[in-house]
Amino acid sequence: MKARLPSYAVLTLLVLFLVGPFFVIVAASFSAGSTLAFPPQGFSFKWVEKVFTVESFQASFALSMFLAIVATFAALVLGVPVSYALSRYRLPLAETVRTIVSSPIIVPGIVVGLALLRYLVVPFGMDITLSLFLAHTALVLPYAVRVVSASLENLRSDIEEAAVLLGSSRIGAFFRVVLPNIRGGILAAFILGFVTSFNQVPVSLFLTGPGVRTLPIDMLGYMERTYDPSVAALSALLAFMSIGIVFIAERFIGFSRYV
Amino acid sequence: MFQNRAEGFALALPAAIFAAVIFIVPVIILLSGGMHVNGHWTLSAYTDFFASSLDRLVLWRTLKLGILVTLVAAIIGYASAFAIVSLSPSSRGRMIGIVVLPLMISPVARTYAWLVILGRTGIVNQALMTVGLTDEPIRLLFSQTAVFVGLLQLFLPLMVISLVSALENMPNDVVPAARVLGANWLQIFFKVILPLTREGLVIGGTLVFVGSVTAYITPAILGGSKVLTLVTLLYQRVTIANDLVSASVIALILIVMSFGTNILLRKIATARNRA
Amino acid sequence: MSDHVYLSLEALTLAYGDTVAVDGLDLSIAEGELITLLGPSGCGKTTTMRAVAGLLKPSSGRIMLDGRDVTRLGANKRQVGLVFQSYALFPHLSVYENVAFGLKLKGERGRDLEGHVMEGLKTVGLTQFASRKPAELSGGQQQRVSLARSMVMHPKVLLLDEPLSNLDARLRLEMRTELQRVQRETGVTMIFVTHDQGEALALADRIVLMKGGAVEQIGTPEDLYNRPKSAFVADFVGFENVFAVEDGKLRTADGAVPVSGTVPAGAAALAWRPAMVALGSGPHHGSVRGVSFAGGTREYLLDSSLGPIKAEADAALPVHDLGTTLAFDLPAERAAPLQRYA
Ligand SMILES: Nc1ncnc2c1ncn2[C@@H]1O[C@H](COP(=O)(O)OP(=O)(O)O)[C@@H](O)[C@H]1O
Ligand SMILES: [Mg+2]
Repeated sequence: MKARLPSYAVLTLLVLFLVGPFFVIVAASFSAGSTLAFPPQGFSFKWVEKVFTVESFQASFALSMFLAIVATFAALVLGVPVSYALSRYRLPLAETVRTIVSSPIIVPGIVVGLALLRYLVVPFGMDITLSLFLAHTALVLPYAVRVVSASLENLRSDIEEAAVLLGSSRIGAFFRVVLPNIRGGILAAFILGFVTSFNQVPVSLFLTGPGVRTLPIDMLGYMERTYDPSVAALSALLAFMSIGIVFIAERFIGFSRYV
Repeated sequence: MFQNRAEGFALALPAAIFAAVIFIVPVIILLSGGMHVNGHWTLSAYTDFFASSLDRLVLWRTLKLGILVTLVAAIIGYASAFAIVSLSPSSRGRMIGIVVLPLMISPVARTYAWLVILGRTGIVNQALMTVGLTDEPIRLLFSQTAVFVGLLQLFLPLMVISLVSALENMPNDVVPAARVLGANWLQIFFKVILPLTREGLVIGGTLVFVGSVTAYITPAILGGSKVLTLVTLLYQRVTIANDLVSASVIALILIVMSFGTNILLRKIATARNRA
Repeated sequence: MSDHVYLSLEALTLAYGDTVAVDGLDLSIAEGELITLLGPSGCGKTTTMRAVAGLLKPSSGRIMLDGRDVTRLGANKRQVGLVFQSYALFPHLSVYENVAFGLKLKGERGRDLEGHVMEGLKTVGLTQFASRKPAELSGGQQQRVSLARSMVMHPKVLLLDEPLSNLDARLRLEMRTELQRVQRETGVTMIFVTHDQGEALALADRIVLMKGGAVEQIGTPEDLYNRPKSAFVADFVGFENVFAVEDGKLRTADGAVPVSGTVPAGAAALAWRPAMVALGSGPHHGSVRGVSFAGGTREYLLDSSLGPIKAEADAALPVHDLGTTLAFDLPAERAAPLQRYA
């Protein structure tokens, strides 16, 4: 495993394949032409500017942001206690509970979306935004449980016992000694959940209504109607947003080891 | 370990009930819909599915794409993972960061890039025409190849990460030990490295296969209605044909593939632990 | 044991990037010899062994084995056995399959294979563990499997890299005896790496003492123990009081100090074991800063004007309390003369 040159060749190709397309989008979004082409025809900011003027993008961006934050928060509110119970209590049916809360990751998203549409939204007249919120929470839950569980496994369980022996209540012990020690994991779970929800398509595919559309769904629709580079510009902007988030998360908590 | 069960359940139940009500119950009702046609319990929807040559073709294509993407990802994954673990610790961390990064970028954006690359006026066609290999643009989009490339790009990082951590967890010095005992590199790979990284390969393989088979965006954008997969077919059945029975059949097939692969994974993983 | 050179390392140099780990090492070994490579951690022992095995490519120098230049020969073709410090057993294979690994690669099958594997396991007393996985064995047993796995290949040279350092004291002694037995019975040429001078002295036909990637001194255990050439060697084999000699006097923290007796001609330094320091009378004085009981003797650490001195006294004598001032002498006739101080 010491071969230097072949190593670098493989890594160069890998990076080119994984990251190259991103540079292509960035370049395409500065095109001056009116159709998608590469190399871009001329240079302009007009498509980047256009992104900010498309009203539906603004609305769908706001919805996706809102969903990603609220659903991830809800998934953590549900996920942290269940992870804690699974790692610190000897529960009967523990594996069943784990399977139930992880199942949204195994069932294909499009099936989830369809099921929710047919059996919650249609029969009960549930609000689309509410259904999106519930679906995204369910979707993020497995990630939250996985990342938080891993952090808890890496944390010695005797520290809570020590805290209780020193006079803390069980709940107090959780907030005083456990939570501070799994902060990194919770932050990582939040970022992973946020990104997962924000980029999610299949679950949201059927859960759209008049004026209610998540950003990625909106982009797909826009692409079908128009063949101009504004989706490239929007894609580039979103990619920069993700890179920024990941870069900061990597700096502060070493994000990639939680993925 | 705490003994108080009531406390443990109180912590675990909200999430379990939420997942069950919001998610498992509707999915089960949906699946049962495929066996409940015109007020009768029947499997006719399933026999219809397998009798239809279009449906069979789509099923076969989906499986084929999934297997092909997984195989190629495994080969590229091993090559990349070897290269990554041979780096110094600091550049290794940076490289893993670069591999993880695309996973965080919107799949719509990542798939969209292939439109720019593979389109009629895209890079590949421009290059081919400049070199003179072709006079007019060739059709690259809306082909299985385009879907294959898109899926590979989307899911390769998962394989690379799994294999890197499998290689990192391999015991020290077993590779040099095999070398000293007379093994060439091929023998070392198949007799030592592959068995010792099998679990990582299976985990990575499951993620890539399930991801590819259940992906919507990539086949929708790069395959269109020319290269339907089970997921895009399901979408069409609902939105165009409004055929919920058929949709629920496809849903069950998808779930079986996904669950089946996951169960297989667990089997292989535990078989190794017992050994 | 024959006298002609069987394995030789000539001006061997190895570097990891900018770090030179082995620097122009020369070494010749006869067939059937048991050599120990001794030196402090980080002096390049492992690197040297890996180079001999073919796992690392030297940046310069040559390795000759059995009359052949093997410097560029791959590790899988070299017929050199290597027992790793971590044992490096294949965790997915049983004990039997671990030992059979190399033989199978040589194309052995059926009866032959089984016979050789079981013979190998018998040598190390593990026949009844053949079907176990490495994880189900103790450290000592794993060590034996690793030894058997190398020995069944009939290597031209068997290298052992600190093979005993992961074992507890009692097992270490047992394995040491066992290694000696295997070496005697098979007559294999063996290089045994250790940082423990007791182990080296007990085992070796010859000891190679390394320092900073090069050979500091080669000799029989008695040579090294009684006639160290440099302060480094002296310190390593237990001469804990070493002073450079200048114009027939000792160079100390306090300036030049005369020695009692005559300094042998050509000695660049003199070295005394704690037992060689004459305690109780003499021209020097030191106050007791530490006492430790060592069974038959007591060791004193003295603060003296010469610097810190380690001396030894019979444990039957009354103990001197901390802070007591003691007279002592460093007699020249007891000292080991060193050729080099640095
Ligand atoms: N893989 C490596 N990369 C860089 N330096 C190394 C590596 N392995 C060993 N070294 C350095 O080379 C020197 C010799 O190491 P080694 O041969 O392992 O010593 P020993 O086995 O005698 O303890 C040490 O200074 C060590 O830090
Ligand atoms: Mg070493």
